[in-house]
Amino acid sequence: MVSFVGLTTASGLMHLASAKQPDYPTIEDFLPKPALFAGTPFAINRIILIRIILTVVILVVLGLTASHAKLIPSRWQSVVEYGLDFVRESIVYDVIGKEKGKRYVSTITTIFFSIFIFNLGAVIPFANMAATATICAPLVFALWSVYNYWAAGIRAHGLGGFLREELFPAGIPWPIYILLAPINLIEITLIRPFSLTVRLFANMLSGHLLVGMCLAATQFFFIETNTKIFAPFGVLTLAGGMFMTCFEIFVAGLQAYIFSILTASYISMSLGEEEEEEDKKVSQAAQPAAQLAAVSA
Amino acid sequence: MLTQAASGIDLFLPETYDIVWSLVILAILIFFFAKFFMPKMNKVLDERAQRIQGRMDQAEQVQKEAEELKSEYEQRLANAKSEASHIREDARAEASHIREDARSKADSAAKQMAANAQKAVEAQKLQAMNALRDELGQMATDLASKIVAQHLENDQAQSDMIDSLLDSMEKDQDSAQTSTKNNQ
Repeated sequence: MVSFVGLTTASGLMHLASAKQPDYPTIEDFLPKPALFAGTPFAINRIILIRIILTVVILVVLGLTASHAKLIPSRWQSVVEYGLDFVRESIVYDVIGKEKGKRYVSTITTIFFSIFIFNLGAVIPFANMAATATICAPLVFALWSVYNYWAAGIRAHGLGGFLREELFPAGIPWPIYILLAPINLIEITLIRPFSLTVRLFANMLSGHLLVGMCLAATQFFFIETNTKIFAPFGVLTLAGGMFMTCFEIFVAGLQAYIFSILTASYISMSLGEEEEEEDKKVSQAAQPAAQLAAVSA
Repeated sequence: MLTQAASGIDLFLPETYDIVWSLVILAILIFFFAKFFMPKMNKVLDERAQRIQGRMDQAEQVQKEAEELKSEYEQRLANAKSEASHIREDARAEASHIREDARSKADSAAKQMAANAQKAVEAQKLQAMNALRDELGQMATDLASKIVAQHLENDQAQSDMIDSLLDSMEKDQDSAQTSTKNNQ
């Protein structure tokens, strides 16, 4: 996907002036110039602004929902409760188990709701960009996920016990450990957060590019060309844009779900105990999600 | 950034300010969810669950009470029914008793009245007979006096006549008594 982006960008730049070519989205979209406080650590660019606005939206909407929560729920409260219930039952309790999962419900709910809303920025007019479409937002969520499964492991087994369980899994002949221990160490320190980050980030990035390409082409075919011969193509690309927009909404939920369920399963692995049973559950739960992720990527 | 063409790798090199803002936002979100949103929603959800449980317990309690009431009422109803049948039987017995009483009283009263009537009749008959006898005696004496006036000298004849007169009167009286008896 990245190389594809590079190609379109290069050609886009070459033909930028001539307007013989649709104004395709480029990776410059994801590297906007800081608009406020430029040069300081608190510089704000367009994507960060989107992120801040969406955060405020989350705080206000969910804050009002919670402070007005009634025993007999309104329609909106029912929707929010359905989301909470989904995260609690289908992600946390299914993966970690009810008893041990309780303390992680808040964490996973934060991840799911925040990432979902951030992702939806991709289809919100005027934002037109997922708040998770730069590497930093997925990265900090991934780091928080890392913190949580390390903390869970250390709390359950102590630091030594946690590392022994992760690096030297039982039931394997010792020479294998020479190979396995470093791999596992990299896995729990780098690969997991990196895969979480890139999966989310790349999905949002490619989603934006796909929607943007369809709409840019539509604009080009309908308005920017002098001849109207290409109008039928415009109809096609507009339909494509609508389809990709719907697909983006789906991916927004899907990626939030995958991020949450993977974090839950990492925590579950760190907790150990009844590992086999829970691993089975995790792989069962994660398999369709991973397949869908592969499809959408 | 605009002057040099961006390459794909730039996407993976985070800017400092981007990291700062992402961390700030994540911290705010974690704080919001952990300290406000989740506790508040959980409180409502727990309260609802508790309320529903309470309602169910309450309903069960009410049902139990209703059942108790029902059995109590049934008991009372059965009692009332048996009491009513008792009362009815008592009343019936009382009624028959009263009827019996009244009948016997009426009987005795009737008998009394009949006896009284009988006595009165007897007395009047006696009176009448006495009166008749006196009158007849008077008439006989008068008659006798007239006859005697004609046969003053004949004492024997006078006494014979009176005797025969009295005899006939007694016969009359006997026949009168017989006929009265027959009439009764």
